[in-house]
Amino acid sequence: MTLPEAIAGVLPIGGVAGEIVAAVIGAAIIGTIMLTNTAVAGPWAKRKITAAFTDRIAVNRVGPFGLLIIVADAVRLLSKELIVPEGVDRPAWDLAPMVLASSALLGFAVIPMGSIFGVNMQLADPETGLAFVFAIASVASLGLVMAGYASNNKYSFLGGLRAVAQNLAYEIPLVLTGLSVVIFAGTLQTSEIVAAQSETLVSLGGLAIPSWFAFVNPFAFVLFVLANLAEVGRNPFDIPEAPTEIVAGYQTEYSSVYFVLIYLGEFVHIFLGGAIIATIFLGGPAGPVLPGFIWFLIKIWAVFLFTQWARSAVPRVRIDQLIEIGWKGMLVLAFANLVLTAVIVGVIA
Amino acid sequence: MSLEEPRPPTESDVGVTAEGDLDYDELADLLGDHVVDREQHVNAEGFVIRPDEVEAVLSTLRDEAGFDHCSCVTAQEYQDRYESIYHLKKYDDPTQELSVVVPTPRDNPVSQSGAGVFDTAEWHEREAYDLVGVEYEDHPDLRRILLPETWQGHPLSLDYNQDQPQIVPLREHANPMEKRTKVPDDPDTMFVNIGPHHPATHGVLHVKTTLDGEQIADIDPDIGYLHRCEEQMCQQGTYRHQIMPYPDRWDYISAGLLNEWAYARAAEDLADIDVPEYAQVIRTMSAEFSRIAAHLLAVATFALDIYGDFTAIFMYGIRDREVIQNILEDLTGQRLMFNYFRLGGVAWDLPEPREEFFEQIRDFLDEWPERLEEYHNLLTSNELFQLRVVDTGVLPPEEAKSYGATGPVARGSGIDYDLRRDDPYGYYDELEWDVITDDGCDNFSRAVVRLKEMEQSARIIEQCVDLLEDWPEDEREIQSNVPRTLRPDPDKEIYRAVEGAKGELGIYIRSDGTDKPARFKIRSPCFCNLQTLPVMAEGEYVPDMIAALGSLDIVLGEVDR
Amino acid sequence: MLGVLKSMATTMKHALDGNTFTVEYPEEEPEVSPRFRGVHKFSQERCIWCRQCEKVCPNDTIQIVTDDQRNGEQYNLHIGQCIYCRLCEEVCPVDAIILTQNFEFVADTKDEFAYNMEELKNVPWYKDIDPLESREPDRGAWIGEGEGEVDYQ
Repeated sequence: MTLPEAIAGVLPIGGVAGEIVAAVIGAAIIGTIMLTNTAVAGPWAKRKITAAFTDRIAVNRVGPFGLLIIVADAVRLLSKELIVPEGVDRPAWDLAPMVLASSALLGFAVIPMGSIFGVNMQLADPETGLAFVFAIASVASLGLVMAGYASNNKYSFLGGLRAVAQNLAYEIPLVLTGLSVVIFAGTLQTSEIVAAQSETLVSLGGLAIPSWFAFVNPFAFVLFVLANLAEVGRNPFDIPEAPTEIVAGYQTEYSSVYFVLIYLGEFVHIFLGGAIIATIFLGGPAGPVLPGFIWFLIKIWAVFLFTQWARSAVPRVRIDQLIEIGWKGMLVLAFANLVLTAVIVGVIA
Repeated sequence: MSLEEPRPPTESDVGVTAEGDLDYDELADLLGDHVVDREQHVNAEGFVIRPDEVEAVLSTLRDEAGFDHCSCVTAQEYQDRYESIYHLKKYDDPTQELSVVVPTPRDNPVSQSGAGVFDTAEWHEREAYDLVGVEYEDHPDLRRILLPETWQGHPLSLDYNQDQPQIVPLREHANPMEKRTKVPDDPDTMFVNIGPHHPATHGVLHVKTTLDGEQIADIDPDIGYLHRCEEQMCQQGTYRHQIMPYPDRWDYISAGLLNEWAYARAAEDLADIDVPEYAQVIRTMSAEFSRIAAHLLAVATFALDIYGDFTAIFMYGIRDREVIQNILEDLTGQRLMFNYFRLGGVAWDLPEPREEFFEQIRDFLDEWPERLEEYHNLLTSNELFQLRVVDTGVLPPEEAKSYGATGPVARGSGIDYDLRRDDPYGYYDELEWDVITDDGCDNFSRAVVRLKEMEQSARIIEQCVDLLEDWPEDEREIQSNVPRTLRPDPDKEIYRAVEGAKGELGIYIRSDGTDKPARFKIRSPCFCNLQTLPVMAEGEYVPDMIAALGSLDIVLGEVDR
Repeated sequence: MLGVLKSMATTMKHALDGNTFTVEYPEEEPEVSPRFRGVHKFSQERCIWCRQCEKVCPNDTIQIVTDDQRNGEQYNLHIGQCIYCRLCEEVCPVDAIILTQNFEFVADTKDEFAYNMEELKNVPWYKDIDPLESREPDRGAWIGEGEGEVDYQ
């Protein structure tokens, strides 16, 4: 039973209207949870994590542990003037931040986030769930291109071009690696993929290691995590932004609310990447003692932490090197992985 | 120290005696009728030549006498003439110096350009034109370099009227915007202004870039945004006191002591001032601290350019600098703008209690290898870092010499040139240390040279501390006797250089009998090194251009002065 | 890939050891070296109006006004324009102008940084450190005299 169905059950309205209202409420709940996570991650956690890597203290003045900086930052950013540069391509320029933010958020619709207080936190569970996630996540590239082209700025333009080239080069290995999981699980439905990972792989001295695909096929896991770094645009693949080269890439000309939307979109995207990794490689919400939903949050935060860790120590590669790694390296490896998985599955079955 | 044996003179070295000294008579014979007159400068002899024979003289001296380093071009105006001086040296032995003096008449200050012989002369002559007003014939691109194009007059010329409006609006300017942007005819290229406001230009540098896709088709650094008339300010200060605070502000990222030494060395040699040995040891030690601090920032910002702005390396660099700055603060009383050297010595002895101060330095030295190891872990052994910087921004040694590159940039191109060893000053020739070179010629080797040089600097500091600890108490003389007002003899000219953090930092001073210099010229290493940027960057990708700029380690305060 | 992992291990080590090198200023005050050159303090009682400081100042920060009997009337020093080279203290024959270790000063406009004789006199000694003790041990400062409070806010 998904979250909207659970809500529909307790709503006094019946029929289609009830389902729609329940779906909206459910979506609002999931959206709020994810945006809250982003709000904690963007202004606060990111600063604290970076500070830890660089031996600094970071925000500590506003509220306990500096947590209220989230409020202060939100007020600061939203109260700034929205500067619309001359010559921007209006509808596209305005739409890009919204596309960026909403596409990332939309992906969470089919992610099984486990249950908390007996409620299953999944909005929808279509049979083509995984395909939907990948499709939605790549809509973000469209937003990047729109932002880059519409800004009427050469740096933005370069950033937009880089974003397209990068996403093309990494989307395919990413999907192909995801496909190997599909071969294992035999389904695209996200809840089924999670269920397929619940069995015990081996038992080591009473400690049961679950058959998470990260353990079954570590090669695919590493490949996917790397491709995901490129997908969410973090070091060593943050070249569409590359602040020291092209100022801020596609987001150079954005300010105020639009900047917040882009910024939000980026972080939600990282979390979505984390959610996909958790779902198809780390057994989704599975975990001992704590409720599934908490485990799910822990896993996506772990992926977020990993991206920040990579930022502290991994250099950004050059655009031509990135394309080369993508097309000549990752793609080949992804195909190899696919064949390998097919063989393994064939042997086991 | 490990002084290399002076290179035995070979057949091709015209004008070198068996002892390795210059034989100016032989050089004059080589040039024959070109030499109109001969002048005595404190550092070298000056050959006066006719303004239309510059190229011939310079190329003869370069090709036949081995003067392959055009260190600096100084232009100045006298009551009766303009004068350009080409300070020539040899990369093999910088003590062999020669000045080529080119006088031009006041009413027609046109002189032949030396840019055809030494590439580095291009920017130097542009500066001479900009500030003094000498015009150079056959110069490839003679336009203002430090001042805005609409500036009126030449501020270092004698008849410059400071009260006139100095900049006129563009519409009143003769050829507004002419040559300003070379808009390419090729529709496949794109013109981008990188800077003056850009995260990776290390200050207010403006790089006019023409891109072909992501590749650099043409690049032209535009400098002068931070021009503060440092030369003129020094000309208005007294030798004894007022000039010394200013060198701190050329290369302002804590390389101050090295800069102060450049002025101190030039002025001390000009006025025949001796420096007590004890003061020399203190100078050597503190200057090496400055060098480590400067190199640390260079490496840290280089990492910032390559890794992106969340890298930990930058903060680690800043953290280690903090330790050095604390030591320097205890010694000099300031963290960046030291003003510690005085003519004939230093301002203060080491702080009391000395043991505590030595312990502080020892603690730093003990931790230093571990710190350096960390940088090597983070940078040089990181494969992705190697992927980014190896074989990018290549600067071949011949180009480096022609552009007058010095310091880590030259040593990263395999040129074994370090004034601390080749033209010893201070206490360096008594100490044990090595000059680091690397044949890679790329961004990577320049970073490696800096990292290794920090190791050598730590060695020097350690030996200095040993010396200072055992120095007998009654011989701790920090300052020799220098008159309160210093008036060097009139018409003495000197060009002296020290090894600054970025390379050869030279000072030219001409005295006129007063207590202020008549001409004060700064040969900034960053200025010359920056000229090599087009060589490194053209044909490369934008990120490699940024990396090359980072590996040059320019400080705009020193480039623009 | 080993080198990349080594880099990541290095930063992780820093993240886990919990050491920080930044401090919580202003709760934790930085250690100021006794030689540090901060805001000036001036003693009208000591000054003999010889004008040496005014003459040596590299960027004309000090302005002295005397009457025709060479009695001092004004002593102005722009602490925002000053480059803190300490040459004035160095040339002063009577230690009338001394650079304290005070490094914190704020003002609403830069004009407020143009201190006159009274304001310069009221600059407090920093933590009772004698500025001359570590700089020129053979010259004594007049610590304790001319104690005053400047309200920097």
